[in-house]
Amino acid sequence: MKKLFLPFLAILFFVSESLFVDLWPKSIWYEHYIFAPRFLLIFILFVTVYVTQTHGMVYGLILGGLYDVVYTEILGVYLFSFPLIAYIAAKAMKWFHNHLVVTCFLSMIFVSILEFYVYGIQLFIGKTAMPFEQFYSYRLLPTLLVNALFLLFFSYPLKQWLVKIERYEREE
Amino acid sequence: MPQFFLNKRLILLLVSIIFLVALIGFSLKERKELTWSEQFVKDTTGFVQFLFHQPAQLVAGFFENVQDIKNTYKENKLLKARLEEYVMLEAEVQTLKKENEELRAVLDKKESLRDFIPIEATVIGRNPDRWQETVIINKGEQQGVKKDMAVITPSGLIGKIQHASQFTSTVQLLSALDRQNRISAYVQGQEGSVFGLIEGYDDKRQALLFKQIPFDAKIEKKQLVLTSGLGGIFPKGLPIGEVEEVVPDEYGLTKMAYVKPAANFYDVDDVIVVKRKIDAVQEEETK
Repeated sequence: MKKLFLPFLAILFFVSESLFVDLWPKSIWYEHYIFAPRFLLIFILFVTVYVTQTHGMVYGLILGGLYDVVYTEILGVYLFSFPLIAYIAAKAMKWFHNHLVVTCFLSMIFVSILEFYVYGIQLFIGKTAMPFEQFYSYRLLPTLLVNALFLLFFSYPLKQWLVKIERYEREE
Repeated sequence: MPQFFLNKRLILLLVSIIFLVALIGFSLKERKELTWSEQFVKDTTGFVQFLFHQPAQLVAGFFENVQDIKNTYKENKLLKARLEEYVMLEAEVQTLKKENEELRAVLDKKESLRDFIPIEATVIGRNPDRWQETVIINKGEQQGVKKDMAVITPSGLIGKIQHASQFTSTVQLLSALDRQNRISAYVQGQEGSVFGLIEGYDDKRQALLFKQIPFDAKIEKKQLVLTSGLGGIFPKGLPIGEVEEVVPDEYGLTKMAYVKPAANFYDVDDVIVVKRKIDAVQEEETK
């Protein structure tokens, strides 16, 4: 039963992003500013930091692949970036003190890196013509705000769960 | 596994970059159909999404209802005023419908571009990265959904089917229209209709671009824009929106109009996939 807890959490986070954009109250704010929930990336980063690097990368690979196939239909973009970000995060955590605030801060940095990376790819393949200023003020900042709020409310319980799972996995 | 990454990580990185470029290239190709593995993954996750989406929708719906109750009195007043108009319109529609049928019978013309078979579907997901506005619905090829079919809500056209897998399909919303995808449309005017093409979407104005209008055509604000059915896939007469502003085109040879969409692209819960009756008849004949 306990073994299924991490995959279940992964599915929950995967579905939560789509639910979040679909059920968010559709105000002017929603139509004007584009914010993307990056809860899945935050989940993968937390798994990398609090469970193990291998777990983070494997989950990144699987969830990234699912994300590409199900949501964006442009294969490879997230499949490539999620494991890579998990790898870099694991390497970066060696330099920092392992503390919740540090992890949250790192998550915010990686969320913006992912935004820039996806923006670059979208520009490159010609799916968007959004100028940089517009991207910066109408997309990047709202996205960071939404994800910061998410971290504010959910980072502590998420950490507690993952630490428990890690302890269980070590005992195995 | 970590040992493996340490030794050959640079090579692995380069190989995966090549792999990434190849995959992106593969998925950007104009594909008629998704591969079976993609379809399988989509259908499976579609089922999981459906399980999560229903209860979440209920909860969200409750809060929306509370909001609605606040506006009830105002809306009720307005609706009462319009009710009388409605009765008159209804009577007119009935007589027109009957007349149309009779005339069709005289001409012995059974199918029209207007008729369609509705396939009702529920939205079970939305693209969270929001670069392309797409939604996922819970009907697929098994229920008769095919690529490029029109998708509407009661208020108007919202998009078309981008890819259909067996039990789910992806809808590309009009706000994500790319340049290759055009919709043949016309404006309902006083002196006959004016034809043109819907090409693209203006993010800032939140309006569709209605292009290729002849320069001497008379178009005014508030006129209705409908699908013409000439593009070969959509039925005729689905409302798209109303004209907001008319401006000369870049080259000054034709005119362009900004069209305010009739349907709300953001608040989409239940949709109808539209299958043209003419196509259905032809399919049966070829069988």
